Amino acid sequence: MPPLLLLLTFAMTPSDTLSQSAMQKLLPTSIHSWKASEPARFYSGREVFRYMDGAGEVYLAYGFNRLLVQRYARPNQEEILVEIFDMGRPRSAFGAYTNMQGRGPAVAIGQAAEYKSGLLSFWRGRFFVCVMIDNENEEATKAVLDLGSRISESIGEDGPTPSLLHVLPQELFEPQTLRYFFRHEILNIHFYVADKNIFRLNESTDAVLVRLKSDKSHLLLIQYPSLEEAAAAYADFTKSYMPEAQAKGWIQTENKKWTGCSVHRKYVLAVFDAPALIDAQNLLTTLQRILP
Amino acid sequence: MSESSMTRRDFLRTTAAAAVVGTAGMSLLAQPDAQKKAKVVLIRHQHVVDNEGKLNPKILEEMFDESMATFFGTKNAGDAWKKIVKPGDVVGIKTNVWRYLRTPLELEQTMKTRIMAVGVQEKDISIDDRGILSNPVFARATALINVRPMRAHNWSGVGGCLKNYIMFTPSPPDYHPDSCIDLGALWKLPAVEGKTRLNILLMLTPQFHCLGPHHFDKQFTWAYNGIIVGTDPVAVDAVGLKIIEAQRKLYFKEESPMRPPVRHIKAAEEKHGIGIANLAAIEIVRLGWKEDSLI
Repeated sequence: MPPLLLLLTFAMTPSDTLSQSAMQKLLPTSIHSWKASEPARFYSGREVFRYMDGAGEVYLAYGFNRLLVQRYARPNQEEILVEIFDMGRPRSAFGAYTNMQGRGPAVAIGQAAEYKSGLLSFWRGRFFVCVMIDNENEEATKAVLDLGSRISESIGEDGPTPSLLHVLPQELFEPQTLRYFFRHEILNIHFYVADKNIFRLNESTDAVLVRLKSDKSHLLLIQYPSLEEAAAAYADFTKSYMPEAQAKGWIQTENKKWTGCSVHRKYVLAVFDAPALIDAQNLLTTLQRILP
Repeated sequence: MSESSMTRRDFLRTTAAAAVVGTAGMSLLAQPDAQKKAKVVLIRHQHVVDNEGKLNPKILEEMFDESMATFFGTKNAGDAWKKIVKPGDVVGIKTNVWRYLRTPLELEQTMKTRIMAVGVQEKDISIDDRGILSNPVFARATALINVRPMRAHNWSGVGGCLKNYIMFTPSPPDYHPDSCIDLGALWKLPAVEGKTRLNILLMLTPQFHCLGPHHFDKQFTWAYNGIIVGTDPVAVDAVGLKIIEAQRKLYFKEESPMRPPVRHIKAAEEKHGIGIANLAAIEIVRLGWKEDSLI
């Protein structure tokens, strides 16, 4: 069993997972003449691969517990497909949402939602939800949005967003580029750094990746549980990624752009692909001043 | 960390080197005696997909027939099929049915018709995707035909001909680590090894970008209107990848590598030895529409 899956298997406890019947209650039996067309299907842990192939790894990397799949049908209309992911914890649900965000306009469902081209995705509490149709029409789109609202109401409670987000100045970055995660596999999807986990990301870390408004460079901010872990991660990254930088903490990479990294108490900050060294240095200096 | 790590900078070095030797590389490709180890046919037609995204099945059939005859150096497509399928063969056509971008049913039927014309009985031909492990025709298949559309993929970078065979294993997650780097190993499975006679990578409306596991948006597809045909799955995928990388650069107006980066195509050559990923060693025979070919 791969190390990630082994870890997740042990990390999950029954109390983290809503029962199948409780999940089923999040869904109405019908919406605007669409009716549940078959029994709901459930997939726990690695069973997700029976439903989706490699894409299931994304949800496992966020600590996914259980998936409910429900189809709704109405004669002469699009089939509506609902997927409710019980991610176990709000931070995992938020992370799964940010993994997909930036697709389209925001809509007011759950704690954050987007709808475009027939796909509604949102998160609320410990749940990440997708409601989708293959081909849009006015009635089916309304049904998708209303169904999403009903599910959100059934979930009932909001969950906290990761505290790391609150230390990052919102005006710095394009909001739709924000990705939250705690596994290096997700970092590599959005900004490939290395095949090995050279930032030492794990279940006890929090990480945010954003793209800056000013120069389109990428900013990675990671919070570790201790000063020692942050220092070790910083040492690993600089040794593996920018050994020639030595103590400077900056290097001009092969694409003629700048990469820099610094450690500040429990935080590691890294800027990738900055066009100008001075701007990137100023950014890290500013962030270090405002970090707790 | 004791083991050395493959980092983003290794990819940047490769890109920078390619830019420096770009002109020299072009010259090499142009030399008639440059050593080519693999061949693909890239055929395009301006009207195979119309402005509203509707497929013209007749044009698609004609394109496919022309590509077959050209690739195998025969007078017509029928003779080409005779080179790869015999009357006693049992043929599995491994297709792809992803709901947003599937192999056109019309093309599947064209292939079946051509194979039957060679003399293979209908009961010895099956077209399948997710059910191949329980499909009795695939269980006794002596020949495989591999066909699917090219698209961006949230875990492997792209899904092409190499990835299309993941359904041949009862345990697909075994091939997921490191952005599915070892997909080439699928081609050594007993149900697969030595059986694939043809790979068809559909570049009609490829998806060049995705955000998340479900993501399909017509915004991230374009009418390339092409098909890539070959017997080497690695070469076919390598050419397809080059095209969608070029499209990403055009669309995003900056270098924009696949996310995650595609590692399984190169590894299929260098680690698993099942084909050629190096574009300089691939002969690309171009047919049809040339505008904006991106390669």
